[in-house]
Amino acid sequence: MTGVRRRLDAALPLLAIWVPVLISIVYVVGFTLYTVWISFTPSTLLPDYGWVGLRNYSAILATRNWQIAANNMAIYGFCFLLLTTALGLSLAVLIDQKLRGENVFRTIFLYPLAVSFVVTGVVWGWLLNPGIGIQKLVVGLGWTDFRFDWLVDRDRALYCIVLAGAWQASGFAMALFLAGLRSVDADLMKAAQIDGAGPLRTYRRVILPSIWPIFIAVFVILLQFAIKTFDLAMALTGGGPGIATVLPSIVVYDFMFQRGLLGRGSAAAVLLLLMLLAVLLPYAVFRRWQHVRNARNA
Amino acid sequence: MTPIRRRSLLAASGTALLSQAAPRLARAEGKPRVTVITQWSAGSDGAAITALGDLFTKAGGDWQHNPVPGFTTDMMNKLRAQILSGDPPAVSQLKGPEIAAWSKIAPTVNLDADVAAAGYEKVVAPELIKLHKPFGHWISLPLQVYRINSIWISRKAADKVGVTALPKTWAEYNAIGEKMAKAGIQPVANGGTKWDNGMIWEIALSGISPAAYRKAVMELDAATLRGPEVLAAFEQTRKMSLWMDPNTASQHYSTFIPKFMKGDAGMLLMGGWVQGVYKKAGYQYSDYMTGPAPQDNGRPAFDLNADAFIFWQRKEPEFTAGQHLLAKLVMEKDTQKMYSGITGSLPVRTDMDLSDPAFSDAQREASASLGAAVKDDQAVLSLAHNMAQPNQITAAMIDVLTEFVTDHSITPQKGQARLAEAVDNVR
Repeated sequence: MTGVRRRLDAALPLLAIWVPVLISIVYVVGFTLYTVWISFTPSTLLPDYGWVGLRNYSAILATRNWQIAANNMAIYGFCFLLLTTALGLSLAVLIDQKLRGENVFRTIFLYPLAVSFVVTGVVWGWLLNPGIGIQKLVVGLGWTDFRFDWLVDRDRALYCIVLAGAWQASGFAMALFLAGLRSVDADLMKAAQIDGAGPLRTYRRVILPSIWPIFIAVFVILLQFAIKTFDLAMALTGGGPGIATVLPSIVVYDFMFQRGLLGRGSAAAVLLLLMLLAVLLPYAVFRRWQHVRNARNA
Repeated sequence: MTPIRRRSLLAASGTALLSQAAPRLARAEGKPRVTVITQWSAGSDGAAITALGDLFTKAGGDWQHNPVPGFTTDMMNKLRAQILSGDPPAVSQLKGPEIAAWSKIAPTVNLDADVAAAGYEKVVAPELIKLHKPFGHWISLPLQVYRINSIWISRKAADKVGVTALPKTWAEYNAIGEKMAKAGIQPVANGGTKWDNGMIWEIALSGISPAAYRKAVMELDAATLRGPEVLAAFEQTRKMSLWMDPNTASQHYSTFIPKFMKGDAGMLLMGGWVQGVYKKAGYQYSDYMTGPAPQDNGRPAFDLNADAFIFWQRKEPEFTAGQHLLAKLVMEKDTQKMYSGITGSLPVRTDMDLSDPAFSDAQREASASLGAAVKDDQAVLSLAHNMAQPNQITAAMIDVLTEFVTDHSITPQKGQARLAEAVDNVR
């Protein structure tokens, strides 16, 4: 009896870890493979296991929606990466100045990450709406010529998503950069100071170059953030004005659920996955290379 | 410590399982029963379906409603999952051509005998019969009807420019619009969602020619899509798009109702459900004027939107009994009066007496126009509200229309060409 119990007690932690892990693997890998399969079938409302080859892919790639979405993705990804990195780095460098109340600032800047994307989208949607938000406020204060109507401008609405996204994610970038800055050897900074380098020069020439792997990590995390953006755009612009700000994830949702074309939607989802892999695979290779190199140096 | 915890865990999960099973055990055997999935959880929609459930319970049935709040697509995902797992609800919400499409993926209940017994087919608009009897058998029943082509004019805006009557034609509408624009009132009240944009074009076309609407939108006739009526609808839509609030972004139209009531925006084209929004915001019948949207041929026309129930086949006899009981109730005059009285919609039956105080003048007028439009063959099905086409075609058309409304650089000719092209691609 006690033997059984002891064995059970020993097995319990393993069970607690492995069962969820296995379930997650089945969910993630299993359903990914299932989606890939569906993307080669003529499925509409329900899965249908015929075979249509690449027809869903050519159909999706030919739609205006996907073309606009792919174009938007490139612009959004680039701008979001640039703005978020710049903001995150600046915040990190400022906080790195051994401020009093550093923890308070860190919490404030990291806080947006705790807010759901839908809430961010809705709140920024109100703020950026020229008839309700910032523009109305400033005009009401007397600057009647003030215009800030990007949200309703077809060519600029996408940048509103960039703004809201950067607001949300720059705190996260800051945390990563700050960890990097703190890991820089103090002797290195002292040496730079003794050699007569000012603070700006120390950062530019000594500190930042020595934390370049952090930059790569931030880029990769932010890019996969950007590619997966869905709820933020849905809540902020809804893909509009018209369909000017649709993103690939919105196209997936639209075809799968709105139009009831599971095959087409899955094809779009697989294309989205390929985009993610295009970012993550090189990073994995890079990490492997880094690992091998470190091992050799040690 | 550990064994105790383990035991209490087991006990807790056991009780949880039991407490779930208990209501199932308690349910009387053989009592007519339905499980229902809809998206109607709150507001007047939620109140109406709860009242219907009470009616069903009073008639001796066991009513089990599982609302899936949010978008219609969320409700459909739940329905899809249940069908896939072989456990469809006895009844679910579904509308328009999706009834025919979904009826192909799982067996439905044949309601022909129930409909015949109630003599229902004679009192339902023929357009609706086609949708709810898709392959020659009744498998679904319309629950309530809304007129899409209704116009609402802000009383304050009307007073400011001296408008006392509703515009009967688009020319009159445009004349009022110009007056309002001159007086500094934004002539068109609108929201920024896709369907809102699509609906404005739809009301324009059905107001120019219901016959052309039927051919172009419902039958996707290539020649009509490239014809003069559709072009005229694009021209009218362009005119209205320039009179819209440029700052709607993706906001729902109801956000701008206070502005409309204040008289800062003049005319709203919207289905009858907007009365629920007015009521909730505390506005009175005297705050606005309402009636049918402009109709160039001068005869009553009706752009139909209808919510419906589809009945899914279940083996259990208590479900079958429940389905027939619910079907009987839904077709009854009293039920329809109760339901539409709560939601502000119109009863499906065209033979109802709406003099009851549960109805407003707006509902009476719209209901009368449904009967008249059916007689005159001027009742058509709404595109933007998923009545005219299956979702994939609707979505492709609405994409073109929302782009046209929001991008003023697209000429009406180019908009028309794009629409015809989009239809060719999905046909």
